[in-house]
Amino acid sequence: MELNICHLYPDLLNVYGDLGNILILKYRAQQRGIGINIFNISLGDPFDSSKYDITFFGGGQDYEQSIVSEDLVKNKKEGIVSYIEEGNVLLSICGGYQLLGKYYSTPDGQKLPGLDVLNIYTEGGSNRFIGNTVIYNERFKETYVGFENHSGRTYIGDLEPLGKVIVGYGNNGEDGYEGCIYKNCFCTYFHGSLLSKNPELADRFISTAISKKYGDIKLDPLDDTLELNAKKFIIERETKNKPN
Amino acid sequence: MVLKINIKSFFSIIISKIVIKLSKFLFKGGSNFPGKVALKLDKNILKTICKDYKIIVITGTNGKTTTTSMVYNILKHAKKHVITNNTGANMLTGIVSCFIENYSFKKCSETNYAVIECDEANVTLFTDYVTPEIITVTNLFRDQLDRYGEVYTTLKKILKGIKKVPLSNLILNGDESLLGDLNLPNRTIYYGFNCSPTNKKRVDANADAKFCKKCKNPYKYNFLTYNHLGDYYCEKCGYKRPELDYTLDEIKEQTPDGSLVVISGKEYYVNQPGTYNMYNALCAYSIAVVCGISTSYIYDSLKKQKSSFGRQEAINIEGKEIKIILVKNPAGYDQAINTLSLDSRTFNLAVLLNDNYADGRDVSWIWDVNFEKLSSLDIDKIMISGIRLYDMAIRLKVAGLPQDNFIICKHYENLIDEIKNCKSNTVYVLATYTAMITFRKFLNFKGYIKKLW
Repeated sequence: MELNICHLYPDLLNVYGDLGNILILKYRAQQRGIGINIFNISLGDPFDSSKYDITFFGGGQDYEQSIVSEDLVKNKKEGIVSYIEEGNVLLSICGGYQLLGKYYSTPDGQKLPGLDVLNIYTEGGSNRFIGNTVIYNERFKETYVGFENHSGRTYIGDLEPLGKVIVGYGNNGEDGYEGCIYKNCFCTYFHGSLLSKNPELADRFISTAISKKYGDIKLDPLDDTLELNAKKFIIERETKNKPN
Repeated sequence: MVLKINIKSFFSIIISKIVIKLSKFLFKGGSNFPGKVALKLDKNILKTICKDYKIIVITGTNGKTTTTSMVYNILKHAKKHVITNNTGANMLTGIVSCFIENYSFKKCSETNYAVIECDEANVTLFTDYVTPEIITVTNLFRDQLDRYGEVYTTLKKILKGIKKVPLSNLILNGDESLLGDLNLPNRTIYYGFNCSPTNKKRVDANADAKFCKKCKNPYKYNFLTYNHLGDYYCEKCGYKRPELDYTLDEIKEQTPDGSLVVISGKEYYVNQPGTYNMYNALCAYSIAVVCGISTSYIYDSLKKQKSSFGRQEAINIEGKEIKIILVKNPAGYDQAINTLSLDSRTFNLAVLLNDNYADGRDVSWIWDVNFEKLSSLDIDKIMISGIRLYDMAIRLKVAGLPQDNFIICKHYENLIDEIKNCKSNTVYVLATYTAMITFRKFLNFKGYIKKLW
């Protein structure tokens, strides 16, 4: 068995260690004997929605994000929209998350159009939301931890959040939610890398992609002692320090 | 002859000098507090205490401390009167403390130099009051994104400071594309490499500042030295590396202890390893030559350059040779790993990861470091410590390092024990800033290090 992973704009949206998510997916799949092929797709490249089983979209600096926004809308919109609508696995972080929505207005007033595939939008704010964040997902009954660092405030309307904020700011510091889920498209502001302390999410992405391709297959569990200890440490420390 | 100064400044200096003496006596250091006191008493104090110095400000992401130390040593060797703040006190308060400590009410007839390491965000606070003789920017890499934001933000902060002092001479890294063509009235001098330690022409997907700062087209390179540094050019708009005034022409030899290089036609041995230290040496060379120092002093000094604390500092623990290397961001960590790779012996590794404010609270950056390169080396024990040791262990596991060789050390006591019973004698300790400080404090407490600062 093998999976094809598409890494969108690895040379532009690459600042916050989000590459780690690709490394972790590759590692966890290979531990189960699943082969992984990684495709780097960037400026000017077409996005062939039938080719990939998992797609990843990371965070970047404002300068690079403006370059991406132009290329996305011009060269990749159709492919990505059909990819997501067909229920394929997409993980999108920070800048990538913002660009899937209707628009993202930068802190200095520029309004960047997004792909408009998710009914969300982001407004630039004056202060940044920075810190270790803990959230709880009601559907999967799992707790996730990550590090957020964004000035954009994202509003997800009716979409399912990735989790309810226990400690931290979340999407906009107001509604108490972080990230969003639409079909098998998962969006979040979590760096960390996201999958380093949330192995359950990593395995969910791998299983979903495998099931779509080969039919339902249960993944062998891995020894996640380190991951769970890392998660536990953050939960304990951050909930202890939570300002009232 | 006694200097004329106003009453407010006079008392500010006296009181701060007392605070300095007390800090040294009570706390074994504490280099920022006296500066805080001085500024509170007289916020213009810098105008007074910096007078009559030729000030060299050194800023940038990586290499500040080592370059500052190199320049200081060269000037000292050339028998100049020189002061420096090289204990890592590079914020405004620390810089003020340094000048207060060295302040003399009597005027001196010789030229006084001050080699000042300055945090990127503090340059503009300093230039509000002082016009440095020289301002140097070493490089710009992503670093502690939770504190400084992105490379462009860091550059903006530094430029804000430089724009206040059009009379300062700028000595800049010419291989840094963000520093080219700044369109400033200052006299500007560039240094850079004319050769490459690798054959790389294509920049890693994960490097910084890869897109032309003028037209957003990706840069092309005649050669790369490391990360995004090198002989860059833009095919679309023609923006390219400026003419270099001082160049590193040849790399004759590289070992884990140092490098033999040719700078502007002459051979120098840099007693610190790795490409990043070649840059630091080249920068120090440029500053020294601009100050009129003869190259023979530069040669002698670079040959003897000792490590600053925490920068590849060598310590002995019961027969084990420990080298502490400070790591702060992906560019620096990758350079440290490349340096380790030059060591052909079997060695042990200790990695310490903290996430205090000074280390950067977000540890995501470890996923941008190429630890995979370590998996091909002959490493015995892998000791993992620091506040975020589990994150570090996960990173190394995914990088392909053998989990059987991992030892999780929750406390320094057991880290030292593990170091003591290593089979092979060399231990490289890669530590983030506060981990390095606390580990050194622990080693000092145990008697393995005599001096703390």
